[in-house]
Amino acid sequence: MIQRTDQLPTIELDGRQITFHPGESLLEVASRSGVQIPTLCHDPRLDPAGACRSCLVEVEGQRRLLPSCATPAVDGQKVTASPEHSPRIERHRKSLFSLYLTEHPGEDHPDGVERGAPNKLVRAAKAFGAEDWGKLENLRDDLLGDRSHDENPYIQFDSDLCILCAKCTRYCDEVESVSAITLAGRGSETTIATPDGRSLLDTTCEMCGGCVAVCPTGAMGEKKPKTHKMPVEAELEKVRTTCNYCGVGCQFDLNVDPAAREGGGEIVKVTSPTPAPPPPTPQPRGRTGGSTARTRCGKGRFGYDFLHHEDRLKTPLVRGADGELHPATWDEALAAAAAGLRGVQERHGKDALAFVSSSRCTVEENFLVQKLSRAVFGTNNVHQCAAT
Amino acid sequence: MTNSIREIRDADFLFVIGSNTTEAHPVIAMEMKRAVRDGATLVVADPRRIWLTEIAEKHLQLNPGTDVWLLNAMAHVIVTEGLVDKAFIETHTEGYEAVAETVKRYSPEEAERVTGIPAEDIRWAARKYATTKKAGIYYTLGITEHSHGTDNVYALANLVLMTGHLGGESMGLNPLRGQNNVQGANDAGATPIYYPGYQRVDDEKVRAKYEALWGVELSPEPGWNLNEMMKKAGDEIRGFFVMGEDIILSEPNVLALEERMNRVEFLVLQEIFPNETMRFADVVLPASGFAEKEGVFVNSERRMQRVRKAIDPPKGARADWQILLDLAAASGASWHHRTPADIFDEFAQHAPNFAGISHARLDAQGEDEDGYTGLQWPCPDPDHPGTRYLHEGRVLRGKGLLTAVEYRPSDELPDEEYGLLLSTGRTLYHYNAATQTRRDPGLDTKQPGAFVQLHPRDAKKRSIRDGDPVTITTRRGSIDAIAHVSRQVKPGCIWMALHFAEARANVLTNDKGDAVTGTAEYKVCAAEVTKASDYTGELHEFRGSHYQAGHAEDAPS
Repeated sequence: MIQRTDQLPTIELDGRQITFHPGESLLEVASRSGVQIPTLCHDPRLDPAGACRSCLVEVEGQRRLLPSCATPAVDGQKVTASPEHSPRIERHRKSLFSLYLTEHPGEDHPDGVERGAPNKLVRAAKAFGAEDWGKLENLRDDLLGDRSHDENPYIQFDSDLCILCAKCTRYCDEVESVSAITLAGRGSETTIATPDGRSLLDTTCEMCGGCVAVCPTGAMGEKKPKTHKMPVEAELEKVRTTCNYCGVGCQFDLNVDPAAREGGGEIVKVTSPTPAPPPPTPQPRGRTGGSTARTRCGKGRFGYDFLHHEDRLKTPLVRGADGELHPATWDEALAAAAAGLRGVQERHGKDALAFVSSSRCTVEENFLVQKLSRAVFGTNNVHQCAAT
Repeated sequence: MTNSIREIRDADFLFVIGSNTTEAHPVIAMEMKRAVRDGATLVVADPRRIWLTEIAEKHLQLNPGTDVWLLNAMAHVIVTEGLVDKAFIETHTEGYEAVAETVKRYSPEEAERVTGIPAEDIRWAARKYATTKKAGIYYTLGITEHSHGTDNVYALANLVLMTGHLGGESMGLNPLRGQNNVQGANDAGATPIYYPGYQRVDDEKVRAKYEALWGVELSPEPGWNLNEMMKKAGDEIRGFFVMGEDIILSEPNVLALEERMNRVEFLVLQEIFPNETMRFADVVLPASGFAEKEGVFVNSERRMQRVRKAIDPPKGARADWQILLDLAAASGASWHHRTPADIFDEFAQHAPNFAGISHARLDAQGEDEDGYTGLQWPCPDPDHPGTRYLHEGRVLRGKGLLTAVEYRPSDELPDEEYGLLLSTGRTLYHYNAATQTRRDPGLDTKQPGAFVQLHPRDAKKRSIRDGDPVTITTRRGSIDAIAHVSRQVKPGCIWMALHFAEARANVLTNDKGDAVTGTAEYKVCAAEVTKASDYTGELHEFRGSHYQAGHAEDAPS
């Protein structure tokens, strides 16, 4: 039940009075009010973890800064969230991102910072004036997805880029609920791994690629664009479309290298649409709780290679007098198809023809098949393939 | 679906029956997982242990094909314990009395004997369903792929109507569509009894409308449904046009169908890959994949969404809509369509439920607050916002019709000769005829070949060990696969996926169709399994999966 706005509680955020719906976190209230708070580890589909410390804010009466993702708004609270309003927040962000960079290659990574998804850490570090405080040695292993160790064709982990926010493992636990990957090791050797260091193929992993999609730094990356030396995401064209597998109808962006295949274009990866900004009105919890509209399964995310497969039919074929199928021109094949169907119709009547349409094809194509069947060949013997 | 995918998370009770949602509709399953995390009660009715049964409050593990018994017994509890919604029944339904009379004979105790589900569990589920306001039913082909599939759906509808779980958020009766555009193909009129928008072909006025629109005389006779077409192939039906379907892999009892297909005089196949049906084709037209053309798909929740061209088809292939226009022209028709947007307009503007939708409107549509796009029909005019859930305030047909149904056994049940009950279905890693997914390295590595699940007890009787090549035989044919010895299936039941061309499960299946829809009984037939004597296929390794968690206990002792 959405309450009337004038009955809702209020917080003061950076000097502004803002109403909220009980249950909303400070981060949620801020982001829909146009107050930008950086976050690396939060996703509305996940329980808040407060792991990355990027979203800390000042709350009056609290000695320490609090993670806004995990702090519920309380009536009458005074909150300062922007560096312009708080030197303490400014100092915090600068030091935090400088510290992150001691364990992160930043823009010096050999594969570039855009290896997977756009690197949110590097962007935030730039935005908040992080400094070079030197580099620490990386003691973590990255066996997950390693080519010699794990022949899964999709997912590869790079510990150099990982900030241990555990967004990937939490997604795997909380959304996909398969718990195929986990935080492993201790202290400075803590890393992301599978149980017993198995290949992802030998775990409960369902290849949904959610770990790749939520990773803020590209540490969880797609293997194929890297091993095939394909262009980075920023250079790809995104085309919004509807998945072609089951009846859920997920929306996603095909990321296309338009120059590949002699200008015909090649799909390099599939990404989820960037979320639209949340509506400015107070939101009951659940509504903003991360719709699955941006969640994918393995077929949707990775199952597009068939389009580029060498087995694709490329030439019309017509069966000859020898009983074999032979290549033909389009004109020859269309004429043969029309003549063949007309022949059956003349010999056996209109209802001796049957048209099997496809629930895999578009509405327009199904419309044309039934129109062809009814208006051109005069029969209602038309049915889509999923009927039985 | 009467309701929308986004409403699932807010449901308080989910009754999932005949749907292995995590494998067939993974992203809908994520909404269900989320609802359960937030405290909803999940009840799963399925002959197999599936992923969802792990998080379900109760798993009603019924014997395959006994759904009517389970559902009538639930109705029995609801009626006899006075849990019906009297006001809703009086205002919005008809036929209640007959159903109440019929289900009297379906006591939970008797149901336990037939279905194998404890009577107390049936009572519990019925009470919980009837007394929870936001209670939704979700089903898939486990309900419809039976010779009595329509009865199963009626029995479900009876539960919905007698409890008034209709016309509000997070409730209703929700069939999850198996393929990307099953809904759209039906909407577009690719059915023997309807023009676009479910306008009957034997309705004089409708026919006159389309005769005027298309300038031709149209047949008043309803056509054959797909099941009948296949049975009449080679006899009454002598010519086929087939687009985007491998009938020789997907239709039931395919060996008999192959024999009939030899007598078909002419077949045109429009496809993107060579498939089994191509052996019977006289003309093959190379077509396009979904990323190579413009158009619209309609999802399970009646949502029309755009499909957009991202890449060119391979040189030489054409978009399906273009081929159909070319074929119509070659057949002497002069159609005015130039683009998919044109075609869509003719489709939508003459069907009242879709008349408010066009490519232009879909393209202008942004994402809503939950990230969804597109428009859900009914959407009768350009200002209509679309319809999230049906039957709000009033049942669409006026009065919701309750239909009394009696249990009818499946067409072919196990006997002395064929002692096991075979069901078939889809898995997470492949998709139907798998012409696409088996050409993907990752999906195919995860599940490289055909397998049959059988219970340790049945395996032991037949001296079969996990991983053995076995032969599965029914009255219609036999195929080889690898044995998965698993407690996922009940004793006496076996299960196979339909995806594999080298081991076509549909060689085995029964082509007996439902009396109304013609949908075949893929879910129940009698079968026997023996060790394969001369197995020539590969001995596949099946990589990790959720179901292997209890693998050690599943090994035959």
